[in-house]
Amino acid sequence: MRLLLVEDHVPLADELISTLGRQGYAIDWLTDGRDAIHQGAIEPYDLIVLDLGLPGIPGLEVLQKWRSAGLSTPVLILTARASWAERIEGLKAGADDYLTKPFHPEELQLRIQALLRRVRGLANQPKLEAAGLHLDEGRQCVSRGEEDIQLTAAEFRLLRYFMLHPGQILSKSHLAEHLYDGENERDSNVIEVHVNHLRRKLGRAVVETRRGQGYRFAGTGE
Amino acid sequence: MRSIQRRLSLGLISVLLIVGLILAQISLWLFEVGLQRYLESGLRNESELLLIALVRGPDGLQLDEHRLSPGYQRPYSGHYFQINFDQGHWRSRSLWDLELPHPGQPGLHADLALEKTDQSLLLLHTDYRKFGQTISITVAQDYTPVRDSFALVQRIGLGLGLMALILILVLQRVTVRRALRPLERAREQIFQLQQGQRSQLDERVPVELEPLVAQINHLLAHTEDSLKRSRNALGNLGHALKTPLAVLMSLAEGDKLAGHPHVRDTLRDQLQHIQQRLERELNRARLSGDALPGARFDCAAEIPGLFSTLRMIHGEHLELSSEIAAALFLPWDREDILELLGNVMDNACKWADSQVRLTIAKGTEGYCLLIDDDGPGIPLQHRDEVIGRGNRLDEQVTGHGLGLGIVKDIVEAWDGRIQLLDSTMGGLQVRIDLPERVSPQLPGAESARQPS
Repeated sequence: MRLLLVEDHVPLADELISTLGRQGYAIDWLTDGRDAIHQGAIEPYDLIVLDLGLPGIPGLEVLQKWRSAGLSTPVLILTARASWAERIEGLKAGADDYLTKPFHPEELQLRIQALLRRVRGLANQPKLEAAGLHLDEGRQCVSRGEEDIQLTAAEFRLLRYFMLHPGQILSKSHLAEHLYDGENERDSNVIEVHVNHLRRKLGRAVVETRRGQGYRFAGTGE
Repeated sequence: MRSIQRRLSLGLISVLLIVGLILAQISLWLFEVGLQRYLESGLRNESELLLIALVRGPDGLQLDEHRLSPGYQRPYSGHYFQINFDQGHWRSRSLWDLELPHPGQPGLHADLALEKTDQSLLLLHTDYRKFGQTISITVAQDYTPVRDSFALVQRIGLGLGLMALILILVLQRVTVRRALRPLERAREQIFQLQQGQRSQLDERVPVELEPLVAQINHLLAHTEDSLKRSRNALGNLGHALKTPLAVLMSLAEGDKLAGHPHVRDTLRDQLQHIQQRLERELNRARLSGDALPGARFDCAAEIPGLFSTLRMIHGEHLELSSEIAAALFLPWDREDILELLGNVMDNACKWADSQVRLTIAKGTEGYCLLIDDDGPGIPLQHRDEVIGRGNRLDEQVTGHGLGLGIVKDIVEAWDGRIQLLDSTMGGLQVRIDLPERVSPQLPGAESARQPS
């Protein structure tokens, strides 16, 4: 999952990057609204966390520009302005969720998880379920029936992405774009290695390879 | 203060009455004086005729009966004379057995009553010398018919005067009403302002009213502007304080303090405390209260936005419904109403199983807001704790606070009342009664609309 964080307060951004990084999200961070308009439209982010009090250009305007340009990426607004009038304004500008400062880091994580599932059309449930597998995002482990299987951070990221897009064919470059932030090197071989690790832990059938096209998450149910 | 209209009417009536009465009385008096002078010349004529009729007879003076006018022969005819001379006196036959009053001085005398009759006499007393002796002749005429016709003229004049007065008053009322129409309009507009039906007074007014209206409009704009500015400043302050607070909260939850559970707990508690306090006070400071008379909340335009925000926060499984009269406007600031409804409905959504209903109705005394949910409700004995007087948000147990603190602040600022009741849907019903806003200088909304 690749997120864009637009936040001008450096200490808060540092905190968010480290906590969200631990949760297995790849994060790009911008401090200026004008850069955000540009980059948000180019890079294929899965979710954007947008602070409203930005220097240069107000966050709401950034959001309006994105929406009028046809960007449909879910946006979670982060703001100190807690009044209902402002919340409604934010929603009208095209936000998908609204979190007021100060917040517990846990709350932000839960909102991000919920928003990602909602966008995929999945019901609001504590655990991510797909094709017979249950993914516990808090503990970063997967369970199949009664059996718990531990995952490494990289495997967790990959499996989460697969489970949020069940049945879809995902190319290696697509996966690399969505699993790593803009600064890390995207080596498609790394994806191959992690897919093999997943297959070793969960069974060969869990991820199909479509030659020349990419991978498809099949799960164990079928 | 009495109305200008009444003041003008009273002034006009008194001036007209005083001037009219004085004028009428003076002109009557002048006319009467003129008439008496005219009658006096007639009487003098009569007395000279009598003097001529006096002739020297065989036994002294004699009155030539043939030269007398017949009016002197008929009893009580209204024409009388008396001639006094040294040897005796003659009286006209018309006097019969009555005595003509005898004024001492020669000249014209009015208002002398003839005894036993109700005749009022105009009497001329003249002294002559003829045939070497003094002859005094008194001629009198009945003045009553003239007096009666004067009274009639007076009555007719009074009637005409009254009618003129009424006509003038009616015309004056119409004129004044017409002249004061801009004032009346300004008053209606101020009433509409209070009701939130307009935000500015109409600038097209007569020159006399222009400074007043311009000043009111300026004040309105100024109030709105300073409210906006102070809200903006509060927003900035909140932003400046809450962002670092978010960092601290994130740090307190992080791994770095895992080895110091005691420090972490204290930090967490204190941060929680700061956050709640900050939230409450900033929210209170944002309230506009009664500062802005032109404010209003358009239910039809704002409620859908609020509902979709609530759905976004609480998920689509909740069924939100509303029962609001068509084209209903609440005469309070938009942000305040949104804050009020947002908090109460957010709370209802938190506890509801599947349904939340908002009802807004306008009663005779004000507005009634009902928020129903089908959640577990609140037991009777705990309701007072939630909204009890003097109960503060920071005294409520963390996590179970109902977020009604700010709602209470808003409702109290508007002199309203908040009640927790049983809902027909099974859960809690929050009932908020807000009294109609009435401007302080108008005694009542209804009487203000009636032109006086």
